[in-house]
Amino acid sequence: MIDMLYTWVIDPLSLPFMQRALLIALLIGTVCSVFSCFLILKGWSLMGDAVSHAVLPGLALAYVFGLPLMLGAFAAGLFCAGSIGYIKENSRVKEDTVMGVVFSGMFAAGLVMLTKIETDVHLMHVLFGDVLGISARDLLETGIAAGIATTVMLLKRRDLMLYCFDPAHAGVIGLNTRLLHFGFLTLLSLTIVASLKAAGVILVVAMLIAPGAIAFLLTKSFDKMLLIAVIVSVLSCLAGTLISFHLDTATAPLIVVIQFCIFILTMGYTLAQPRTGKVAA
Amino acid sequence: MSATIDLLLQPFTYAYMTKAIIACGLTGAVCAFLSAYLVLKGWSLMGDALAHAIVPGVALASIFALPYAIGAFFAGILAAVSMSIVRQKTKLREDAVIGLVFSGFLAFGLVLLSKFATPQKLQTILLGNTLAIPASDILQITLIALICFVILGVKWKDFMAVFFDASHARSIGLNVNALKILFFTILSATTVAALQTVGACLVIAMVVTPGATAYLLTDRFGRMIALSTLIGGMTALLGAYASYYMDAAMGGLIVCLQTILFLLAFLLAPKYGFIQNRRRLRAAQRRCA
Repeated sequence: MIDMLYTWVIDPLSLPFMQRALLIALLIGTVCSVFSCFLILKGWSLMGDAVSHAVLPGLALAYVFGLPLMLGAFAAGLFCAGSIGYIKENSRVKEDTVMGVVFSGMFAAGLVMLTKIETDVHLMHVLFGDVLGISARDLLETGIAAGIATTVMLLKRRDLMLYCFDPAHAGVIGLNTRLLHFGFLTLLSLTIVASLKAAGVILVVAMLIAPGAIAFLLTKSFDKMLLIAVIVSVLSCLAGTLISFHLDTATAPLIVVIQFCIFILTMGYTLAQPRTGKVAA
Repeated sequence: MSATIDLLLQPFTYAYMTKAIIACGLTGAVCAFLSAYLVLKGWSLMGDALAHAIVPGVALASIFALPYAIGAFFAGILAAVSMSIVRQKTKLREDAVIGLVFSGFLAFGLVLLSKFATPQKLQTILLGNTLAIPASDILQITLIALICFVILGVKWKDFMAVFFDASHARSIGLNVNALKILFFTILSATTVAALQTVGACLVIAMVVTPGATAYLLTDRFGRMIALSTLIGGMTALLGAYASYYMDAAMGGLIVCLQTILFLLAFLLAPKYGFIQNRRRLRAAQRRCA
């Protein structure tokens, strides 16, 4: 038993790159799961999809102008969220369509740029993340971004929750809903940028949906939902990183597969529960 | 002069290039045809979800050297079934269900690919590489696209009735369920074809952007389909053709062209364009003042 513990957990932990990988998995697991709870309630699950695809041209342009890559990605994410809102308000096209048009257009532009410009941005790493290749600097950057996003979200969770559930009520009791709206999108971009190095564009989406969806099945209280989401997400991120090390597979997809399996198990569990007939609080 | 023409015709001197351009154009046209329905129905993200969800099927097919279409077909059905189960059994919103299922499927496909396939293969599936498609697959894509196009061309009015006025469709004796199944089969087949030309990540644009552009330009459904198909087909042809000279990602170029056309329509459309809206607003304000 102890031997197994050693070969499976302790040995990998003695490798510096695994320490960094587990640490970054812990960070993005936390910040993404906090967000997922709000996104699920607001019905914005696919906003994460849109913003994460849209960062690609930002990365390419930042490289060309010698700016920090994270800055470019962040700006592109904000631009995407902003232009979706703007086009929706100024044309008769539906929001989901506008979302599809804008993010796929930006993704395509980024793709063309990256194939034409010689960059040290490795396309596959941007798309899928590279948890095992994280440097100490990446870790610091991700830590700062994730720390800011998580702290603000948790401090403002009451206001944001009200805004997500009932924007009209939030406006009536004097909250600045415009500020909340844009603040939320800004933090979302920040989160995605923070997760990019480890999870990659394509899989951030899953990490921004699955933990919230799992917690949503298990509880009706928002604070409990946050707690469950964070625990599930952190555990699956850690487990995914370790297992991918042993199986020699890509890390981020494995984390997502684990979360998806947990979701299915949770759904099976809730369906197996007898109906208590209790009125939902 | 003749040198310029020679240069412009150069791509067509390569048989594979000509075939790739034709296959791209056809796929683009069929996707755009479908996009007219998807945009109006509010199903824009369906194509995206489908394209991502079939990745594990495509991965397995490529590992076992089977045709992509078979793997994609089964994965697509499995994804659709899981989405409907999750939606019925939980209170999660539809967008969360779609996102959850497609990203779960995609991740599974990626794990398989990262374990058993080369990075080139992975990149081809996600980002497309028309020039890397074997000749037999090009033929297959062309056939799929042609068949879908013919069925859509013959049945477009029936589909319109089924999706936008189901009771009318039933009263004129259409088999609503059969037509719905036919439509989604065409959508899946087209998605597979599009996945091979522009890659899983960009299928969404092919099945949304042309329809959205056409929607800004006209109020009649027939015209919207015609415009959308024209836009989709032409941009795909042009993008594939231009990629020969620019040596850039073909799917990326096609989608960039489509997005530029959408933005132009958003700004300049005669009736629903941004500038026209502003002008109308200002005129109204002047009248009130």
